[in-house]
Amino acid sequence: MFVQVLFLLSATLTIGCAIAVAVTKNIMHSCIFLLGSLIGVAGLYATLGADFVAVTQIMVYVGGIVILMLFAVMLTGGKDFISRAHNLLGLTPTMGNKWTYGVGLFVGAVFLLTNIKLFSNIMKAYPAKTFGSEFPSTVSQIGHLLVKEHVLAFEISSVLLLGALVGAAIIARPRKQ
Amino acid sequence: MNQTLVSYLSQYEFYDSLIGLFGKHQGILTFFIYLLFAAIIVGLCATIGGLGTYAERKISADIQQRIGPNRVGPYGILQFLADGVKMITKEDVMPFTADKFLFYLAPMLALVGVFATLAVLPWSSGFIMADLNVGIFYLIAISSLVGVSVFLGGYASNSKWSMLGGMRWASQIISYEIPVTISVLSITLLAGGMSFGTILSQQVGTPIHWFIFHNPFAFIAFFVYFIGALAETNRAPFDLPEAESELVSGYHTEYTGMRFGFFALAEYIEVFVVCGVGAALFLGGGNLPFNITIDIIPLQLVQVGIFMTKALLLYYVVIWVRWTFPRLRVDQLMSICWKYLTPIAIFNLVGNAVWMVLFNGKSVADLLFGGH
Repeated sequence: MFVQVLFLLSATLTIGCAIAVAVTKNIMHSCIFLLGSLIGVAGLYATLGADFVAVTQIMVYVGGIVILMLFAVMLTGGKDFISRAHNLLGLTPTMGNKWTYGVGLFVGAVFLLTNIKLFSNIMKAYPAKTFGSEFPSTVSQIGHLLVKEHVLAFEISSVLLLGALVGAAIIARPRKQ
Repeated sequence: MNQTLVSYLSQYEFYDSLIGLFGKHQGILTFFIYLLFAAIIVGLCATIGGLGTYAERKISADIQQRIGPNRVGPYGILQFLADGVKMITKEDVMPFTADKFLFYLAPMLALVGVFATLAVLPWSSGFIMADLNVGIFYLIAISSLVGVSVFLGGYASNSKWSMLGGMRWASQIISYEIPVTISVLSITLLAGGMSFGTILSQQVGTPIHWFIFHNPFAFIAFFVYFIGALAETNRAPFDLPEAESELVSGYHTEYTGMRFGFFALAEYIEVFVVCGVGAALFLGGGNLPFNITIDIIPLQLVQVGIFMTKALLLYYVVIWVRWTFPRLRVDQLMSICWKYLTPIAIFNLVGNAVWMVLFNGKSVADLLFGGH
């Protein structure tokens, strides 16, 4: 009962906010709706029992990505600035007319139905995997997997991230005259 | 498995009679218990936040050899109620060019972010809304909503001061999150879990069993955490976002009435929350001394009292620091975070890990006096 309610709320939040992101004209508002959508996704993870992933979703996206996007939006000056710089003020690009929307919806619906048909058997055959009894929670299971089986991938990705960090620092550094 | 308030209460007899009362609608009973305790905790924390403003004024008056508020109620203790009433009755002014949607949203988001952290705050071993197994991680993650809200408040006001304040706050919070999170991580390493239940159960006994005295690195980690927490909650000497001598009042310059009150309340409650987390992580939280294992409700209330005492003592230190140190410059703020706190925090983390391997997880007290 509770899980269903949580699922419905999170799914509504995710989809509603995602639609709002697409239709809002103001890019700052889009960012905020994106925030809502990402929190909804965290709720979906929570309904699946993946509490660590849910919290990581909030941590990474709310605490990091959305703030970064807000910064980027504000520091780059918005639509008018770019349009003026590239002399595009007269030409407002549109997303399409009713024919393109109609064709897009039709293709999307066909694609969705095909996928549902294809995956329905697989979904039935493989129910959601529950974690083994040797781990008290998903957190400890993820911990064990990260430092035992997938330690190489873990280390490689951390080296990659370190490289990205150093690269960003070098790019952002003021050049010596 | 996650321990919750309901699973704690269900071990008592009166809970069985409640279940009998509700019959098969147990979900409703659970819901009402959570609702009741959420209301109690939110009310309590709002009062703490309100009293925080009173304490701030009274302690600052004490430090500056003034008297402070003394008219409303005994010793002026009802001053915060008078302030609250004043704020509610004030006109709600919004700048003409403000972004309405974001302007209304920002104070709500701040309060939501702070109140959501109360769900995992361990008042005592039993009275904790939900002892999530990702407890402390959840708390750090959800409190970043406050950062977003302040940033939005600054942007939506459409004012230079607000804008600068909001941007300073956002950059400050994402910088200082790093040393704070790494310090918390080193405690997680010592405790072997992220839930507050696990962390607190490792600190039972006398004060020498607290994690702050576990090893030298944990001792340093406490101070790194505390300094970082001061900066994250926008307290002096790190209160650059509202630096009144340069930015009028920072991100909430344009806010009036209760919307300003929401920001102020969120800030004071957040200070209490970080103090409570500091008390739980490093100072043994609400643990009774000498490993008493009797579990009855009055003792739980004693635990709540111990937890509150520790948290409020830290709160006092926060106020004390605010009225003692001058404000930093922006470049000093960033260099403290990136050149000092972050390397120290990483050093602590590595040091803790090495300690755990070398001494097999024993604390200094265990090594000196034996035990565990």
